[in-house]
Amino acid sequence: MANHSQLNFQDASSPIMEELMGFHDHALMVALAICSLVLYLLTTTLTGKLSSNTVDAQVIELVWTILPAMVLVMLALPSLRILYMMDEINEPDLTLKAIGHQWYWSYEYTDLKDLTFDSYMIPTTDLPMGHFRLLEVDHRVVVPVNSTIRVIVTADDVLHSWAVPTLGVKTDAVPGRLNQTSFLTPRPGVFYGQCSEICGANHSFMPIVVESTPLPNFEGWSTSMSS
Amino acid sequence: QSFKLLGFLDVKNVPCARDSVLYGSLGSLVMGLGYFLATSRVRRSCDVAVGSYICTMLGYWFYCRYNLAQQRIRQRMLKEGMKNRILYEGTYLDPEKKQTGSERSNS
Repeated sequence: MANHSQLNFQDASSPIMEELMGFHDHALMVALAICSLVLYLLTTTLTGKLSSNTVDAQVIELVWTILPAMVLVMLALPSLRILYMMDEINEPDLTLKAIGHQWYWSYEYTDLKDLTFDSYMIPTTDLPMGHFRLLEVDHRVVVPVNSTIRVIVTADDVLHSWAVPTLGVKTDAVPGRLNQTSFLTPRPGVFYGQCSEICGANHSFMPIVVESTPLPNFEGWSTSMSS
Repeated sequence: QSFKLLGFLDVKNVPCARDSVLYGSLGSLVMGLGYFLATSRVRRSCDVAVGSYICTMLGYWFYCRYNLAQQRIRQRMLKEGMKNRILYEGTYLDPEKKQTGSERSNS
């Protein structure tokens, strides 16, 4: 989860998020280069003479066409690489459906004997000491570690969005439509997210908690939930 | 803690960022000063300095990130190899067993 006054990304917990963070760093480096150049050009323009005897501007026209094209290529190639990487067909080990309602999520593990449950936020008045306000839920989404999980996201009433920043996942939940995303957690842990599409009065109060555990623990959990 | 250049690039926590900016600054100083010593043209030297700052910074950035990506791939292969070695040790899938078996048959 994010710390107070955090502006940057949370630490990556999936390979796709690591790639996204790497691309973000690359884009910022390109932005720094461009900003430095613009700052310098502004300074020279402001401190230099206002008149100019330039009549033929072919060189500068060439420069300010080719340079932006190179910048776009430097940004587009890694961006497209990650975009296609996110859409790779990767034979998921588990499929789970996330359905958005006003104002909770429900999950269906139909691979496992029709396991379904609702996930409501724990109100602050009932929150145990030391737990995270507005982030904890009564039933977490438990997934096995090191397994590709496919999530099919939809909604029951209005638009919602299933987002877990540390996994690099954000998928809109649209009524009447199934959107698919996938993720893989190489390490066990608990990952928090919140609904990311305005959906009414309690839009801020329908969080998502994904818990990644070793397979035996996951099997124990699914057995206990089914019974 | 973070130190953000121009308010957005965190040079402390982003791998390769600090080195890129420092090498860029060094390159810009060397090229700018060298051009000035050679030609005594102040404005053009400043232009050369800024241009070489950008080119050196981006050049080192690409080089460093490429090496970092290669290192991470090697780390992943090593991790996978170590896991497989422990998993398959003593079984028919053990690559060391297959290797010694083929050496014996060759000799």
